[in-house]
Amino acid sequence: MDSHVLDTLIARYEAEEGRLLGILSEIQEQEGYIPHDLLLMLSEKLGIRLSRLYSLVTFYSFFSLQPIGEHVITVCMGTACHVKGAEAVLAALEQHLGIEAGATQDGKFSVTTKDNQFTVTIARCFGACSIAPVLSVDGNLFGYATPENLPAILAGYGWREHAD
Amino acid sequence: MRIESEAGLRTLQAAGIQKLKPKQPRIAVGLATCGAAVGGRKVYESLREAIDRAGADIDLVTVGCIGYCREEPLVNITIPQKPLVILHRVSEADADEIVHSVMDDQVPEDKALCRVPSWDHVTGVVMQYGKGFANIPLYEDVPFFAPQRKVILRNAGFINPEEISEYFAIGGYAAAWKALHGMQPEAIIAEVEKSGLRGRGGAGFPTGLKWRITRDAPGGTDKYLICNGDEGDPGAYMNRNEMESDPHMLIEGMIIGAYAMGLKNGLIYIRSEYPLAIERLGTAIRQAREYGLLGDNIMGTGFSFDIRITRGAGAFVCGESTALVASIEGRTGRPHPRPPRLTDPEGGLFKKPSDLNNVETWCNVPAIVANGSGWYAALGAANNTGTKVFSLVGKVDRVGLVEVPLGTTITTIVFDAGNGGANGKKVKAVQTGGPSGGCIPLRLFDTPVDFESLNRAGTIMGSGGIVVMDEDTDMVDIARYFTGFATGESCGKCVPCREGLKHTLLLINRIQAGKATGKDLAILQEVCETIAATSLCGLGQTAPNPVLTTLSYFREEYEAKVRP
Amino acid sequence: MTHGSSEQNDVPEKPVIITINGRPCRAGKGETVLAVAIREGIPVPHLCHEESLAPYGACRLCLVEAGKPGKTEMTTACTLKAADGLEVITDTPQIVKHRSILFELYLAEAPKSEVIKEMAARYGVTKTRFLKKMETDDPLSEKCVLCGLCVRVCNEIMGAGAINFINRGPYTVVNTPFLEPSADCYGCGACVKVCPTHAVVMEEAGSERVMRSWSGTRVPLAACSCCGMYYAPRELAARTLAALDPHLDQDLAGLCPACRGKRIAEREILARQGGAGNHA
Repeated sequence: MDSHVLDTLIARYEAEEGRLLGILSEIQEQEGYIPHDLLLMLSEKLGIRLSRLYSLVTFYSFFSLQPIGEHVITVCMGTACHVKGAEAVLAALEQHLGIEAGATQDGKFSVTTKDNQFTVTIARCFGACSIAPVLSVDGNLFGYATPENLPAILAGYGWREHAD
Repeated sequence: MRIESEAGLRTLQAAGIQKLKPKQPRIAVGLATCGAAVGGRKVYESLREAIDRAGADIDLVTVGCIGYCREEPLVNITIPQKPLVILHRVSEADADEIVHSVMDDQVPEDKALCRVPSWDHVTGVVMQYGKGFANIPLYEDVPFFAPQRKVILRNAGFINPEEISEYFAIGGYAAAWKALHGMQPEAIIAEVEKSGLRGRGGAGFPTGLKWRITRDAPGGTDKYLICNGDEGDPGAYMNRNEMESDPHMLIEGMIIGAYAMGLKNGLIYIRSEYPLAIERLGTAIRQAREYGLLGDNIMGTGFSFDIRITRGAGAFVCGESTALVASIEGRTGRPHPRPPRLTDPEGGLFKKPSDLNNVETWCNVPAIVANGSGWYAALGAANNTGTKVFSLVGKVDRVGLVEVPLGTTITTIVFDAGNGGANGKKVKAVQTGGPSGGCIPLRLFDTPVDFESLNRAGTIMGSGGIVVMDEDTDMVDIARYFTGFATGESCGKCVPCREGLKHTLLLINRIQAGKATGKDLAILQEVCETIAATSLCGLGQTAPNPVLTTLSYFREEYEAKVRP
Repeated sequence: MTHGSSEQNDVPEKPVIITINGRPCRAGKGETVLAVAIREGIPVPHLCHEESLAPYGACRLCLVEAGKPGKTEMTTACTLKAADGLEVITDTPQIVKHRSILFELYLAEAPKSEVIKEMAARYGVTKTRFLKKMETDDPLSEKCVLCGLCVRVCNEIMGAGAINFINRGPYTVVNTPFLEPSADCYGCGACVKVCPTHAVVMEEAGSERVMRSWSGTRVPLAACSCCGMYYAPRELAARTLAALDPHLDQDLAGLCPACRGKRIAEREILARQGGAGNHA
């Protein structure tokens, strides 16, 4: 996103209500994360201190400061998913992708594979509790996820067993 | 075209009925988020192909979700003069068979869940479908539906949420017409007060009173009406379904509320995790503007009001009113002490008095205006009138959204509607109210589900999530789960919540690791009591509930894990 | 009496009297119970209160039991407005119990803070049962209790906005964005002054002021045009001078406070001498 695109984006938010989080959310969605230089640029264009923008970005879990991989897998950690084994699904996912997930220094949860193919994050609840456990890949929801059916889901996104 | 006469509204209703009950058969696929995720989208596409292949004259549409989530994907079939039939667990492989049956004015009976000869849409229209299909059970005989009373989910799963005409068909916006053309704002507030409606976001504050305070606050029309669609409780998804399945119901409620309070700015605050709800509400708002139901001079009355959507960015604490306002203003969601409240000039959004009501609260409003407060007050229990939608999830056999009158017992919800534990397991407890709620053991399942009875049991209504635990569930793990959730969602402003919850989590982890002693249990109890008593906002004050209730009801599970 | 006449000029108002631990106390209009207690010398512990800032209610230490007789509730004194007839008690068994737990939490959160240790000890809490925070390289020296005073002073009073809260919940810290030196910091040191636990570290290094706690932000200092001593952050000094009305004359503008004082005194003396000369 360059300066001009950012201007257009800002211009779309005429109303004050929800403006700042709206703009940041769109940057997050388009870039996959909040790049350092874009945040600086936004601070200058809006005349809002960088410290305040940085505070927002690190407070809300929708934003990430780390670049993400090709595909984003989000495992739901809602209550219904938890009692139906979401943690086992997450553990299996870590194993398949060869990553160790866990809270990062900022308390957020986002790990990317070395080959940059997959980023694994968690959600507090998709509200799809009836089909728990749930995970989403690039926004597509998969219900009744199990450690057993994970490989089939992952394969749809280019993952191969023993790829390394 | 703008609606400026009652006859105009009736013309639109007649046109809508032609879509809902067309001359040709109609197939409707339940495509709320969960239905789409378990194959509904594919079912829809394969039905499309099958209809095209057969060259059949059949309407294919999208509808919302009737709430029987376990049986999804769900497909409704409407054949003229026949009952509406709901098919369940439909797969894409069934498409050709369905289409060919329908072409013969039949349905695949082996896939039928139930039939609906007529349906009460509550806002003045009982849709008559027809007779026949006697072998298929009636809707009201399906055990999952039998104890339910649909008021809020009156249209969910029947109408196409992307078509305003189908909302007109079931009597939609007639309540708004009645309110704006036939009632004084004061009379509407009085009706809502008399109905006994209480906030469905969890706190149960009288809705009419909140409207009155907002109306009486200084500031003229430049105040805010905010719909809270942040639905943060994990395990609760009724608001998502209400927004996805029947967005105009919410908009109509907000229009009536805005008129009663005499204000012009409306906002719907929705969490980013709900993209389909955001999309459908966006569509619905655009349609409502086209018909002159939002914007200037609504329904030719001179009254002006409009609604904007703002998105949350992932913070549970933003369900708290002062944090929600901070988030809309572009600040971090750290609550401030109340007063000032939102309805106070200095406490509202951009320092304007603001009314905040939950999605489901708004959904009740058109039904109250259409049928009168007496009708509504007769539903439910004393001081707990009306119905409430609960999401019945976890280790229960029949998972889904259950709408029952307030005062219904947990037993009815979990055993009659839910059929008890999944896979024949014994149910041990339920958790209500999400991370702010508590666990209720089986022996207290006679507790009526109302605001006060749940409080007495140590939990809260919250937004209506009911998570079922069975004999295999480790209650200490449940306490750990919720504490972990609350810790991660704490805003970090006040010390009892920020530090207290962190140490609560550390203590439970010690217990789970078998390293704790009885002394640790005592500290756990003490710190939780202090968090509850001294935290700044509701999140902190209620966050220890899962630990405190499991410590009180399932103490033996803790004791079995600690060393003497 | 000047006192009496000023009262007559005000709109006459019924005086607000509250009782704290049975003692009647007069309260000003809109004054908080904590402000009254501080003025009256009644001990109520607090960490996040600062008179020039709006009530914040984060440290939760100033708990009191307050209300009308027979109908009281526990609340924070800093957010409670004094109203006539209000009865306040500062040490109920319930308050003592919860406050002790809060002090234990503080002792675990800021294990290196002597201020916290002393304050807790005054209320009988000398050790914590909670796991103490252990952090190497904590820029706030394991003394920060996140009272937010530095953030609020920097943003709301100084208008610099150099620091803010980062992250949330137990991961919350205060620092500069991206943990990089801040271009917005004036180096005014208000954060250092306001910090109740002396957690913020600032030091002078020759021609620069170094904000050790804020990602090593370096702020250039202005040197006195007379003695050569570095006396104030350059930009802040320029801003302050620019805001003065009437302007300080050019001769004095580049001087450190000591030299400025000296120069003004010299001028006075010269002027008087000149005056005396005329008389002679």
